[in-house]
Amino acid sequence: MARHPHDPKNQKQGLIGQPVPLIDARRKSTGQAVYTDDIKLPGMLVGKILRSPHPHAMIRSIDTRAAEALPGVHAVLTGQEAPNRFGVLPVSQDETALAVDRVRFVGDGVAAVAADDEATALEALSLINVDYEPIRAFLKIEESLEEVPDELKLHTKTVGNTNIHKQVQQDFGDVDGAIDAAKWSKRQRFLFPGVTHAFTEPLCTIAHWNADDRLTIWSAQQVPHYLHRALATVLEIPMHRIRVVRPTVGGGFGGKSDPFPHEMVCALLTRKCRRPVRILFDREEVFYNNHGRHPSKIEIALAIDADHKISGLDIDALIDGGAWGSFGVVTTYYNGVLANGPYRLPSFRYRGRRVYSNRPPSGAMRGHGAVNTRFAYEILLDEAAHDLGEDPADFRIKNALSSYTKTINEFRITTNGIVECIERACDASGWKDKKGKLPFGEGIGIAGGFYISGSALPIWWDDIPQSTVHLKIDYDGGVTIHSLAAEIGQGSDTMLAQITADVLGLSIDFCRVLTEDSDTAPIDLGSYSSRVTFMAGNAVRRAAEDMRRRIIQGAADVSGYPTELLVMEDEHVVSVADPNVRIPYLNAVRRAMKDVGALVTTGCYSSAPPMGGKHKGAAAGLSPTYSFQAFVVQTKVDLLSGKPRVTEVWAAHDCGRALNPLAVEAQIEGCVHMGLGQVLCETMDYHKGNLENPNLLDYRTLSPSETPNIHPILVETLDPEGPYGAKECGEGPLLPVLPATANAIWDAIGERFYVLPITADKIYRALLKQKKQGRYGKRPFSDQSEKSPAR
Amino acid sequence: MILPTFELHHPTTITELVEIARDLTAQGEAFDYMAGGTDVLPNYKNRLNPRPHVISLARLAGLDEIGVDRIGARALVDDLARSSVLSEHYPGLVEAARSVSSPPLRNLGTIGGNLLLDTRCWYFNQSEFWRESKGYCMKADGDVCLVVPQKEICYATYSGDLAPVLLVLDARVTLVGPDGERTVPLREFYAFDGITRFLKGPAELLTAVDIPSSSRELRTGYRKLRMRDTIEYPVAGVALALHTDGDKVGRLEVAVTGTEAIPLWYGDLDLTGQPATPATAEALQEALVDRVTCYRNVPFPPGYRKAMTGEYARELFSALVG
Repeated sequence: MARHPHDPKNQKQGLIGQPVPLIDARRKSTGQAVYTDDIKLPGMLVGKILRSPHPHAMIRSIDTRAAEALPGVHAVLTGQEAPNRFGVLPVSQDETALAVDRVRFVGDGVAAVAADDEATALEALSLINVDYEPIRAFLKIEESLEEVPDELKLHTKTVGNTNIHKQVQQDFGDVDGAIDAAKWSKRQRFLFPGVTHAFTEPLCTIAHWNADDRLTIWSAQQVPHYLHRALATVLEIPMHRIRVVRPTVGGGFGGKSDPFPHEMVCALLTRKCRRPVRILFDREEVFYNNHGRHPSKIEIALAIDADHKISGLDIDALIDGGAWGSFGVVTTYYNGVLANGPYRLPSFRYRGRRVYSNRPPSGAMRGHGAVNTRFAYEILLDEAAHDLGEDPADFRIKNALSSYTKTINEFRITTNGIVECIERACDASGWKDKKGKLPFGEGIGIAGGFYISGSALPIWWDDIPQSTVHLKIDYDGGVTIHSLAAEIGQGSDTMLAQITADVLGLSIDFCRVLTEDSDTAPIDLGSYSSRVTFMAGNAVRRAAEDMRRRIIQGAADVSGYPTELLVMEDEHVVSVADPNVRIPYLNAVRRAMKDVGALVTTGCYSSAPPMGGKHKGAAAGLSPTYSFQAFVVQTKVDLLSGKPRVTEVWAAHDCGRALNPLAVEAQIEGCVHMGLGQVLCETMDYHKGNLENPNLLDYRTLSPSETPNIHPILVETLDPEGPYGAKECGEGPLLPVLPATANAIWDAIGERFYVLPITADKIYRALLKQKKQGRYGKRPFSDQSEKSPAR
Repeated sequence: MILPTFELHHPTTITELVEIARDLTAQGEAFDYMAGGTDVLPNYKNRLNPRPHVISLARLAGLDEIGVDRIGARALVDDLARSSVLSEHYPGLVEAARSVSSPPLRNLGTIGGNLLLDTRCWYFNQSEFWRESKGYCMKADGDVCLVVPQKEICYATYSGDLAPVLLVLDARVTLVGPDGERTVPLREFYAFDGITRFLKGPAELLTAVDIPSSSRELRTGYRKLRMRDTIEYPVAGVALALHTDGDKVGRLEVAVTGTEAIPLWYGDLDLTGQPATPATAEALQEALVDRVTCYRNVPFPPGYRKAMTGEYARELFSALVG
């Protein structure tokens, strides 16, 4: 019987949905992958940056003469030589390559050298004499709210005479009315210290201003295109004279998604001495570069009506941006607007304020802007459920957003797997048999989540597509995939190859993915906001489908069969009508090349159709689709020491469609590990202006010994706009980990914690208090004890 | 971070090592001995009191035996952790060895290095840049203590895991130097503050640890407070050795680490002869907490660390009574 070529049921199982090992896994695990620091260029110099020992000071003068005179030193640079400001957001162009007139945190770059070797470079730095005038430092978040004279403002563009960088306000429905009429309401403050990405590969950049008067820069980057733009601004040269190369990246998590000062410095140094210069950070410098999750104080009020439905949510977020703007304007919005799912909100009010302070800059980090508010929201939901006698899982289902709806702040919701996520996580974990029924010290908790799958609008509002992919097939039949989509370990190269191979009916080894070089790859805006699979995935699919049309035409020309009945599978073009028609792939390709040579196609993804409201900040949080997730976490608290241990995580995530289940599961596992770090042990501790723990011994990420059993549950809702129905899976799965853990700790010992991280000493103290009050070890627990009024 | 420059010496015999040490001392040249280097080298990278000479123990033969009476100073912590002899007689020592850092570091670190571990403090274990920014402390390049601001003594915290167990076992250490060989009870070895730390001459090399046969009657255990299960120094650690005489405490030895500048041996806390009961365990807890002091210079609040020494002592006592 003839098969219809366009009926999916009749098509051979391709690569989509198959567990495909990442195509760079062998290279990485054998040491063959080339990271930036592996690149050795003839005559390459070592670049080093002199850093400020003061949190806030004016620079009176810098004397570099002795450093310049030191043998082996080839260039010395100060901030005055490159005062042009840059930044990842057009509205926050507030960074310079080096401090121009003031330093803003301990670790801020002041001067730089390029020398023959590291020892000479370090000696040269010690010879640079900087005359500082220390001024008042802003080290507590509230201090930045004060009105201050101009000279104490960290940047000229702030809110009034304060050090507030950005203030936003949104108001939908009658929140106050909802709180007044509520059957249950509570207002609670939460405190979140800053955390950082702790990626494995330290930041590294090599720059070479070569004999052709062109700059090439190799850098550990998630957003090579934004680096490209910033370099042009700072160096005042046209973009076409700059080539940006992104070698293999050892993890990013948002920590490599800004154009960075050291990248500017490296480029400026090579321009001065015309020799290749390498800047490799030590771990302490990585901590000073930071751009991690904002330290945050979040106050949140939740109202529940008589039907046990959420009636109002009021959020006030005060976040510490550190010295620079970075992604902070977006973060300020995200701390509020991303609370508009996965539950229905009839009223919502948000005030967000981000301040500048004399601390290392905060920025984007996995789950950008949504993580801390999500924690606060899901804790209060849990408290409400317990107080109202509701099962926390059923309570969340009762309040879930539906599919194909609009939130009160006018997010367009399409596919939505939240209910399936909750149900499957509960089924897999044995929720009903465990909740409230485990021995004292053991507990189970649930939380939901909701995240964007790519920002609907690009950062720079211009007309170019968000993602473009070029394909090229030549005589050898291999498919070369060009795109600037940044592989940072998340598997985007594999995704591009997998979709291409699937469309063309080839095995994946036909594909070679070249995503490193801005000279050859068309622009993709980069790996941020969980956009790559959705956007570059759509782009590559379009390019591959165009390629398929051309190859099928070649096959039709060879065989005389009409193109309408031809499909590509198993390295052949075959007819769905006649099994005897089977043209080898290479024959079809070579015929298609007649008169045109190599086959070249292109595919794009432009921004989603217009959506969103007209209110101020309406664009923030708009996404072509959203991911949903619900996790159940089981925990066991050591009752002797208070040490909390997460033993099991059932992690259900609506990824639209798992193009590569292996990669989706790996992303979920990574999110769980990272989220547990923030809730259980990670914190950037400061003593006045100094970060106390700028190293990976004292900044504690979760070790393998504490990593729980993780059970990923893939929920597929087949998004109509995602490639093959896919949406993001790299960030959303981080969101429920933290609150589900805290809720599980409550179920274990009946204690709430509103300050992260939840460490053994805090639990020990709480248990001691229980013993004194005679309630130690007694179920059921009550959440009522420390309730404060919502108004 | 790159290492500072130093001259590396590679003696192959103890005699040669002593000669090098004697010559350098005569020339007024400072040096460090280095076995695994897991403590020395990170400190050198941070420019924490680096010396112009390092005498490596890597090419020495021997000094790595593990027996019931004697353990060579170069015995790897990982070999202690896997030793069946130690496991049979001194399980507490094996527990402590297993709790040291992580497998790769246990494979480099030695018992001698662990006993002589430098003290640790937030204000000390930092890069030169950090310390310059904050102000140098008396332990390196400065003259005040930043934990307890004063100019007399250093409050950096001793952070070795093996010392408390060897203290309760009444171990002795053998030191070899230009002036010959001597043996010192470990209980008298640690002294003074976070800078001086112990009574070892700069040229003396710790070569062996001896455990008296009288300690074989003791049941031993070790408990360690740390934030994670691995790659952590103890921020409070308790070792107990117990011999019950009928249903009474016959012998009891208590020692702690991770609290003050040296590991501390507290003897029996006047509990010999008491019944081996939960009430005595609680008395032990109370007596120990009364004596322990912690400072705010390593992770976890001092009050919690102090309380945990008591909790662990109580729990360990009950576990050893069985």
